[in-house]
Amino acid sequence: MSIRRLEKVRAGAVGVRTPLIDGVEKVTGRAAYTADLPAPGALVGRVLRSPLPHARILSVDVSAALALDGVAAVCTGEDCAVPFGVLPIAENEFPLARGKVRYRGDPVAAVAAVDEETAERAVRLIRVEYEKLPAYFDARKAMAPGAVPLHDDKPNNVLREVHNEFGDAEAGFAAADLVREKSFRFAEVNHAHMELNATLAQYDPERGHLTLHTTTQVPYYVHLKVASCLEMDPSNLRVVKPFLGGGFGARTEALHHEIIAALLARKAGGTVRLLQSREETFIAHRGRPDTDIRIKLGMTREGKLTACHAEVIQRGGAYAGYGIITILYSGALLHGLYHLPAIKHDGWRVYTNTPPCGAMRGHGTVDARAAFEALMNEMAEELGLDPFAVRRANLLPTVPYTTAYAQKVLSYGLPECLDKVLKASGWTERRGRMPKGRGLGLACSHFVSGTSTPKHWTGEPHATVNLKLDFDGGITILTGAADIGQGSNTMVAQVVGEVLGVHWRRLRVVSADSALTPKDNGSYSSRVTFMVGNAGIHAAQELRAVLAKAAAAKLDCRPEDVECVDEVFRVAGGQDPGVAFSEVVKAALVDTGTLTVKGTFTCPPEFQGDKKIRGSAIGATMGFCYAAQVVEASVDEITGKVTVHKVWVAVDVGRALNPLAVEGQIQGGVWMGMGQALCEETRFDEGRMLHGNLLDYRVPTMLDSPDMEVFIVESIDPNGPFGAKEASEGMLSGFLPALMDAVHEAAAIRPTALPLTPDRVVELLDARGDRP
Amino acid sequence: MTLMPPFRCLRPATAAEAARLLADHPGAVPLAGGTDLLVNLRRGLGTPPALVDLGAIAGFAAIAEEGEGLRLGAGLTLADLAENPAIRARHPALANAALAVAGPTHRASATLGGNLCQDTRCVFYNQSEWWREGNNWCLKYRGSNCHVVPKNDRCYATYHGDVAPVLMVLGAEAEIVGPQGMRRQPVAGLFRESGADHLTLAPGDVLTAILLPPQAGWVAGYAKLRVRESVDFPLAGIACAVQRDGDRLAGLRMAITGTNSAPLAVVADLAGADWDDAAAQVLVAAIRKTANVLKTTSVGPKYRRRVLLAAARRLADDLWRQAAP
Repeated sequence: MSIRRLEKVRAGAVGVRTPLIDGVEKVTGRAAYTADLPAPGALVGRVLRSPLPHARILSVDVSAALALDGVAAVCTGEDCAVPFGVLPIAENEFPLARGKVRYRGDPVAAVAAVDEETAERAVRLIRVEYEKLPAYFDARKAMAPGAVPLHDDKPNNVLREVHNEFGDAEAGFAAADLVREKSFRFAEVNHAHMELNATLAQYDPERGHLTLHTTTQVPYYVHLKVASCLEMDPSNLRVVKPFLGGGFGARTEALHHEIIAALLARKAGGTVRLLQSREETFIAHRGRPDTDIRIKLGMTREGKLTACHAEVIQRGGAYAGYGIITILYSGALLHGLYHLPAIKHDGWRVYTNTPPCGAMRGHGTVDARAAFEALMNEMAEELGLDPFAVRRANLLPTVPYTTAYAQKVLSYGLPECLDKVLKASGWTERRGRMPKGRGLGLACSHFVSGTSTPKHWTGEPHATVNLKLDFDGGITILTGAADIGQGSNTMVAQVVGEVLGVHWRRLRVVSADSALTPKDNGSYSSRVTFMVGNAGIHAAQELRAVLAKAAAAKLDCRPEDVECVDEVFRVAGGQDPGVAFSEVVKAALVDTGTLTVKGTFTCPPEFQGDKKIRGSAIGATMGFCYAAQVVEASVDEITGKVTVHKVWVAVDVGRALNPLAVEGQIQGGVWMGMGQALCEETRFDEGRMLHGNLLDYRVPTMLDSPDMEVFIVESIDPNGPFGAKEASEGMLSGFLPALMDAVHEAAAIRPTALPLTPDRVVELLDARGDRP
Repeated sequence: MTLMPPFRCLRPATAAEAARLLADHPGAVPLAGGTDLLVNLRRGLGTPPALVDLGAIAGFAAIAEEGEGLRLGAGLTLADLAENPAIRARHPALANAALAVAGPTHRASATLGGNLCQDTRCVFYNQSEWWREGNNWCLKYRGSNCHVVPKNDRCYATYHGDVAPVLMVLGAEAEIVGPQGMRRQPVAGLFRESGADHLTLAPGDVLTAILLPPQAGWVAGYAKLRVRESVDFPLAGIACAVQRDGDRLAGLRMAITGTNSAPLAVVADLAGADWDDAAAQVLVAAIRKTANVLKTTSVGPKYRRRVLLAAARRLADDLWRQAAP
């Protein structure tokens, strides 16, 4: 076995199943999350929230709270006049409400006190007078003529309307042999991340410096928004993301509790720990909106799609947040999975008096894809075609491929994904011959490997990684990327180690601390592996060049002829014993001292959408992850309960840098889709949240979770780090329509509303009309 | 996160002492596994001045043969009930009902007595203090309006225990130690149909044990309706026991939970009848007459009503087949 082969079986190398670099801390309980951080003498923060869904604030009287012994600070809307929001064009949220409250739970005032009991008592002493306004919990009602606007600048309560047409949809429908149109309703869902929202804010009154430890996926955005809301010089702020218990998109923008904690700490002149309850974490929300979709497809007798028209209405909640992007995404990813001659998209993002929606795994694309695939399956049946055959009839004809939305596809493993799940599920032999009450269903899906356009146009690279190599021979990788459990720390160590040819244990990752690490835009849109991975490779190449030069002097050869394998530098292909890594490091440090290098990555402009197409910056990416999955499920005709028995899922991830982590991400993505399809939904009774706990917000349990067979397909993307693409979002949406189709085979019902809770299924079974 | 209210914690060594402490401290409540009580206290549902921890009572978690039957200490955990070989062999329906409660970590500390005496539940009650205050409280606690049945005659919060209906169809008795000593009564007698006051135990009464008679000739089962296979409380639950005499029913007992403010026996005199559609219709009519499913859970009442009847019929059919000679 050659040295290179030996290297390949060692954990940490690219392509080797590698336990996460910070996994030991997590499984042993040593990892300190934000709420665990020691902060002796920290004040306790607490938030007073609106009991009304929509009202004008007439007065806020905090005098009794302030007078209470042990209260250090009370903040209200008066303390912050700068609105925040993740999109520079739609900043309309205040950390503490000013003038109006717009949903039940909107923060109105906050208290910092010596202990929880005092903080709780102080909050109860705050008197707020409200004048009630009509409230809307349904998008269509909020859009109706005469509705009272939530925000003055949007009199019809529509945050953004989108109307796009590519190709000629009418002509496409006219050319079809079968045209079908159907409406679907997808309930709102929440990320239900395990770790509750929390912020530790430490203010140094002498220097005017503020340090935040907070539960975020985007420390950089938190940094910007906290500095802006507190009208502070950003250099006086430090934002650190400790270990994080999940995100899934819930934490891809600065949230009110983070800014409130900062306001309280500054006002109190000390340290404030603001912990949020599960209910408050649900209130902060940012989940996937309740969505109404009317979808129309045209298909030839052979199953070829001729046109698609999707009308999407999203109940966005009370503030803008990511809303404009979410509604754009519902159209943007109608492109890129199949070859479609004509796509029309009409979308409405609507303000309602419910907690603000935001980004959630599969951002904006999931419900539209689910509706599309569900109708595709239904039309396949009507035409007597197999669902696999219909997919194959619509594959991208050639790769590279450019979509009508200007997205570039340079790697496309979907055909192989289809082959894998067809074979593994026994589809050909089993579909149509399942025992009574059981069925199989298929669907495909995809997602971007990072949005190619940053939300803030700074002209900076899209990712930066620094490496530090010192006298001890240890390499510290400094990255702003927020590891939120997805494994970005591990990923960056793997790519750096692979380029340098060094052992895994020589590498240390320091991440997401604005005082130490280079800025990163954050962990959203599955951008980190692609962008930070490439920046990591670049940084490692820079360091390798320095070391190769030092090694070349010792080996008496040209630097370009040096290779480092298994921590030994040799002339490439040579048989000499070589020079040990530590010796080369000593040589490299002579005269220069500590080595620091930088690597960057920027998505080239041709991947950033087409300026001629409005909105095409959203959905613009350097590569799509593709997935196909077959779901086997059964339906209990008495209780209406749907049980998922097995999932076969194949995902084109470009290259699995760490197959162990990739498998886990794929399972998690499918499973999250299953939650949305089976049982997760938010519920409101006249604006009152009924799901604000993990009993009523029904995340599937282990007993509801099926066996899953994962197939990794590697299409080796030409631009991805070692060929890698996104690996955790693209498979989510396919689960929904695959389950819907399995349920159709099992019980001859065609669901149009998700989740498929027993009450909905029983209604469908009743409507089938053949029950006693 | 949410503060526990201040209370004294008392830890008696005997049931008699527990009874005395409960009687001596007005408003004191017994604590066993705490999986229901402590969660509620953290949500601001009650401010008892004292908790009487029953965990130190000798023999509180014992299983013993008593005559032909079994005596189950009220302190047995649900995990014990689900796994105990004697219970599994003689009363599989009870073991299965215990296994159906919540999740494994709950069952490791939740007890038989605590499960029976759990509080009633309602979407307008099991919410944070902020939530309830914003909704003007409710009739069950701190308010004067019932948001479920606006006539406000009583609280309609629902009893969601899984174990009680099974014990009822098994003919179990409850052993209670009170200030006046020990007494025994049928399990059904522990409850009354009033959501804010559903336990008949008087101040000072401690539920100490359950007595299970032998089940010669009876086959029992429990059907739990829920969205998820774990964690969830029953949207409705049906316990049934069938005794078969050849092709005729020698006896049928049924009790339901998750529907009313108490677990209720369904009275249908089917002894001696053939088990056929007509008999099933009689049973279904009796359930319909007994159940009063209202908007107390986040899943609507229409589904719960409808599936209660269908699932009860299926359970009775299954048991009838199992009881075949």
